[in-house]
Amino acid sequence: MIRLANTLGFARALVATNIKASLALRGAFVVQALFMALNNVTFFVFWWVLMQRTPSLRGWRLADIQVLFGVVAAGYGLTVTLAGGVRYLGQAIEEGVLDTLLTQPRPVLLHALGLRLQPSGFGDMLSGLLFIAWSGQLSWRTAPAVVLAVVASALVIVACGIVFFGLAFWLGRVDTAARQLWELLLTFSLYPEPLFGGALRFALFTVLPAGFVGYLPARVIRSPSLPDMLMLVVGALLYLVFAVQVFQAGLRRYASGSRFTTFG
Amino acid sequence: MQPAVELRELCKSFRVRRPRAGGLGRRLSSLFAPRTEAVPAVDRLSFSIAAGERVAFIGPNGAGKSTTLKLLAGILQPDAGEVRVLGFVPSRQRTELAFQIGTVFGQRSQLWYQLPPRDTFDLLGRVYDIERREHARRIETLTSVFALGSLMNTPVRHLSLGERMRCEIAASLLHSPRMLFLDEPTIGLDVSAKAAIRELLLAESEREGRTLLLTSHDTGDMESVCERVIVIHQGRLLWDDSIGALRKSFLTAKRVTFWSEAERLELMLPGVRVVASGTHRTELEIASDVTPLGQVVDAALRQSSIKDMVIEDAPLDEVIRALYAHAERGCVT
Amino acid sequence: MCHMTLSDVAKHAAYARIAIAQGRRERGELYGRMVFFVVILGVFSSLWRAVGETGLAIAADPKALVWYLAATEWILLSAPQIHIEIQETIRRGDVVYRLGQPASFVMAEFAAGMGAVALRMPVLGAMAFACAFGFTRWTPPLATIALFIPFAVAAVAMLVALHLWIGMLAFWMQDVAPVFWLTQKLMFIFGGLMLPLTLYPAFMQRAAALTPFPVMLFTPASLMRGTGAVRPLILARDLVLWGAAMTAAVQWTYRRAMAGLTVNGG
Repeated sequence: MIRLANTLGFARALVATNIKASLALRGAFVVQALFMALNNVTFFVFWWVLMQRTPSLRGWRLADIQVLFGVVAAGYGLTVTLAGGVRYLGQAIEEGVLDTLLTQPRPVLLHALGLRLQPSGFGDMLSGLLFIAWSGQLSWRTAPAVVLAVVASALVIVACGIVFFGLAFWLGRVDTAARQLWELLLTFSLYPEPLFGGALRFALFTVLPAGFVGYLPARVIRSPSLPDMLMLVVGALLYLVFAVQVFQAGLRRYASGSRFTTFG
Repeated sequence: MQPAVELRELCKSFRVRRPRAGGLGRRLSSLFAPRTEAVPAVDRLSFSIAAGERVAFIGPNGAGKSTTLKLLAGILQPDAGEVRVLGFVPSRQRTELAFQIGTVFGQRSQLWYQLPPRDTFDLLGRVYDIERREHARRIETLTSVFALGSLMNTPVRHLSLGERMRCEIAASLLHSPRMLFLDEPTIGLDVSAKAAIRELLLAESEREGRTLLLTSHDTGDMESVCERVIVIHQGRLLWDDSIGALRKSFLTAKRVTFWSEAERLELMLPGVRVVASGTHRTELEIASDVTPLGQVVDAALRQSSIKDMVIEDAPLDEVIRALYAHAERGCVT
Repeated sequence: MCHMTLSDVAKHAAYARIAIAQGRRERGELYGRMVFFVVILGVFSSLWRAVGETGLAIAADPKALVWYLAATEWILLSAPQIHIEIQETIRRGDVVYRLGQPASFVMAEFAAGMGAVALRMPVLGAMAFACAFGFTRWTPPLATIALFIPFAVAAVAMLVALHLWIGMLAFWMQDVAPVFWLTQKLMFIFGGLMLPLTLYPAFMQRAAALTPFPVMLFTPASLMRGTGAVRPLILARDLVLWGAAMTAAVQWTYRRAMAGLTVNGG
């Protein structure tokens, strides 16, 4: 119990230090956050224009797209603020940053995830919430569903990041490929699921879980139902557990030194 | 009393991929069924370090120093053999050990770049579960001992390398570890900064009875801070004794500098080599087992009136280089 | 530019060659772009088919719209983001060495950019059109494609000039990335990256006409839809006019930079 409390305290301190570090670059912080919000808005213009001309697309209306967009943006924003180190995991593995973390008495994965914070994430979170509000789905009544959806989405994004960037444990320099997979996940999650056919749809709920990042969380907000919520929670937790196992396996391999080709 | 560090027949090899030479077919098969070779990095290494000792751990590049350090810190798992650090088995009790050790990697920083050191110290307080009052007390002590004063509130990116290093070492001591591992702590520092760091390490260790294990390419670090030196080469122990003993038994050379009235001294004696010369100044290296020192001095006095004379041991650098050279030739001591 | 001699051309061509050699080594990014093409064209072929089901006139021929997207993305992705390197050169103070060399900094950077284009365009073009064919099982008439390609090259050249101009803002700004992002987003919208401008509300179409973005993306790509709505001569004229304006902007910015140059670093 004490151990858990200490770990939470440590996690909180990590986030606080990250925020301080980001604020130290005050100007850049604001600019990055603002521009990300702007970026999301301009991307959405495409849907707004299209939906003016065709109000329904295989059952999806503009409000549905807004919720989808909002939950992915907010989930992504949450990821890169609280667990911003995930995008640099490959680098941390390759450059031996893990060595320093291994000499400290804290969970290595948690520490590695918390090493960075991307200020643009605040812009993502803000614009995400604004999109959901714009769709008319944000109220005190729907707030719990929104929180659940955004957190679950973020958990799946983090889990995927851990697996993609953690491939560095086995394959060495994977940053480019891992980033491609990461962007692929986000790209697919931003498009309405009815657009995708059978095999692809199956893949988007399994190997590349864009369905758990965008579609299912959006459905939980738009038309909350207990089975959907349960599926979302269980799915998100399963992916997270899987990702942690992958990381631990990678760490064991790291400790065995197999990835080294030189020594000194 | 239990030793701080105990290694027994410690072994660690790395699997290195040996690409198959030849055409596309062979190279493809190399991708799917790679031929790997076990390259030993640490080979039946055994030594122990008592609590409070200050040990220099040296060897040429590729000798296995960093690997050994990582095995001791719990970063790597050994293949065979036993290792205990402060009573813990590093690979199995990494977290418990982590509370008791501090590490300073010369080329890597644990200070957050954009923030003043104070913020990193606060975070480290949470990393090591240091109680708030104790944490404040430790910071005050370290600030005074390391003369950190105004540095504490200056963003790390504005600090000089020497100032940063002082903060790094202070940070590694925040949780009062019983043992400190230092990997090239003075690399890149100027002479005065190096001297300051060495003094601090020595003083801290003596005061707190802290065990130090230091790797460095700078023999000055060794001589100023450590009492004992362990030399490894190709993963094996080459030498383990005090620094004085290293010098005495390994190399019997002396350096003598004469300031003479004559412009130059010509001493044709066996085992005597001119290292440097200038007007009225001659520096010689003397193999004192070939020609006794007294004989050389007599010869010099016969040639010219000597105004001044300095006798020194051969630089430690050369001693160590000679040690490696002996090892290369297969003459292990 | 009219005063360039043959040796000037050769000098700048050398920069282009180095850029090509460098591009060959940075293949990872190119592969990533290729994967991106597969995904985005796949998603959009589904999308336009779905839109077609709603009876929207413009989507009556979804295949042409997929080729439209392939065309706009090809133009966009073929232009290297040279503003990043230019900013670094200026920020580090290395620009001093470049200015001391007997080659115009601006021309050299442009040549280097076009060198990268020479490598990227064919590769990405092959990928884009292979994917478009794969998803639609149709190609526009060969004559249409043949007409489109030179306009695409001109459009990419304009994009390179735009990136060059953004990079030069580093003479005054610490970080030009926000300017690049903003410009890029405006280009996505007003250049009709994913949606032909004809779908936009009237006020947005009027706004777009005030920017160079339509002639860089929408108009050349619309050639691929084969509707005959685009008149090549008009497009050529617009490209020349906007190209001249872009060149003038670049030259003016460069002269202002030289006039007020304080070199960073030291």
